[in-house]
Amino acid sequence: MQIYLPIAELSMNLFFLIGIGGAVGFLSGLFGVGGGFLLTPLLIFAGVPSPVAIASVTGQVAASSTSGALSYYRRNAIDLHLALYLILSSTIGSMIGVGIFGLLRAAGQLDLFIAVSYLLLLGFLGSLMLTEAVRSILKRRGGVMVPDKMPSQHSWMHGLPMRIRFKKSRLYISVLPVLAIGLFIGIVGALLGVGGGFILVPALVYLLRVPANVVVGTSLLQVVAMMCVTTILQALTSQSVDVLLAFCLMVGGTVGAQFGASAGKYLRGDQLRALLALLVLGVAIRFGLTLVLQPADTFSMAVLTAGGLG
Amino acid sequence: MRRLLLALMLIATATPVGAEKLASTVSSATIQITSSFDGAVLSLFGTIESDVHGLAAPGPYNVIVIVTGPLQDRVTRLKTNNWGIWTNTDQVTFKQFPSFYDVLASGKLANIATPEVLTEKNVLPIAQALASSTLGEVAKATEFGTELVRLMTEQGHFAVKEDAVRFLTTTAYVAQVTLPSDVANGPFIAHTMVLKDKQLVAERTEGFSVRKSGFENFVFVASKQQPLLYGIVCVILALGTGWLAGVVFRR
Repeated sequence: MQIYLPIAELSMNLFFLIGIGGAVGFLSGLFGVGGGFLLTPLLIFAGVPSPVAIASVTGQVAASSTSGALSYYRRNAIDLHLALYLILSSTIGSMIGVGIFGLLRAAGQLDLFIAVSYLLLLGFLGSLMLTEAVRSILKRRGGVMVPDKMPSQHSWMHGLPMRIRFKKSRLYISVLPVLAIGLFIGIVGALLGVGGGFILVPALVYLLRVPANVVVGTSLLQVVAMMCVTTILQALTSQSVDVLLAFCLMVGGTVGAQFGASAGKYLRGDQLRALLALLVLGVAIRFGLTLVLQPADTFSMAVLTAGGLG
Repeated sequence: MRRLLLALMLIATATPVGAEKLASTVSSATIQITSSFDGAVLSLFGTIESDVHGLAAPGPYNVIVIVTGPLQDRVTRLKTNNWGIWTNTDQVTFKQFPSFYDVLASGKLANIATPEVLTEKNVLPIAQALASSTLGEVAKATEFGTELVRLMTEQGHFAVKEDAVRFLTTTAYVAQVTLPSDVANGPFIAHTMVLKDKQLVAERTEGFSVRKSGFENFVFVASKQQPLLYGIVCVILALGTGWLAGVVFRR
């Protein structure tokens, strides 16, 4: 069944849209990430113009993260205090990101930038997470109990001023790295059309040592807030949010996320992290290949929109 | 400049070129895009009449119909390999380039029209690219223009169909044009040329438009005119859907 998307100005199969929304939603519920880093490339590959794909996926990520965040909230697994700081700084970051996005598009180097940043960011994160998760799995097999809370090693971060107590995370740390992480997530999220959960989860775990039981919920709440802000910013600046496209993805995504979240209960934290690491590495490798392999067509074209962007 | 040319062309077509007169029409003046829109097929038909009353128009005739879609600024980019990485290194902008361009003819273009007529009327797609190029160098504009035409053809927006015009009698013809589902919205122009002995004897231009209707149009207009409200509605929809799914699946 074909459905016409009024902003993308093309028709797509309704079941295909709900299907990919559902599949990505499942993974997002499982890992507590938004899933934008999978959905955006999928849509672009299916023929949706990239500005529309990036802008509409923000709406879908907001929806699927909402149902996830709510279920974590009911389980009392969100550090609201920590989330507030992250939300404030990432909002500023996403405004900066939307600006940079426009500049890169005008220069015709958006594709290169997206591919390189996905490769570096995901490649780095993926390998880091995989080594950690595999080590933890091996340790557990070896009979050593791995505590839920990471051993609180004192790094240079703990010497920074403006320390705040985050009760639920059992942390007493400087607010500066928290704000810096939020700002970075905001910029990257707006630039790459992703929620940033896949960066935020490892950042909270490895940099701030946030305990595993509140990491996913806090990250989801931050993703919801940031995606709402980004959706409005995109609607205002690029006017490329396709509400129909977003809604089809939302319906699939929210349902998928529920199944993902319940599937997640059957897996241990380190197993989840290892799987997420593999997924992240897979996407990184795919982007790496587009940079290195000779493209099927060395020529490409794009429409320069009214704003002089392309 | 192109708009001016177009206007001139419209005025020019009001007066008959030769002893023949062309009466033509398009099957629908407006193509409405609804939620189930999946492309459209349009018929263009007409008859060639003699200008002298009561006299049958002498044949044989050939017809070329050019259907042009809304104009857009487009850019063609070339990727090259630098230090092992493929990046866009060169680009040419084509201003006011047609988003859709179909040449429908009743025979091989080379057999039914002289090269002069084809050149003068910018019939071939590459002529459109050269006319829109912002570049001084003709060689490079031709190279990128050829690639742009190839890409547009691969996506089904450009075509040269040399058997798409069918003659019902010696003077009445019908042609069909297929608009893809991702066709650009806006004004379209169908320019019909009648040829005899490879020379242009009559021509006529009709317009039709493709536009969204009903809900699709409402959404599109809202996103342009009330972007803030539109964004807020999207967010509410997202939060609502997420919340609803959470409630439905609550255990």
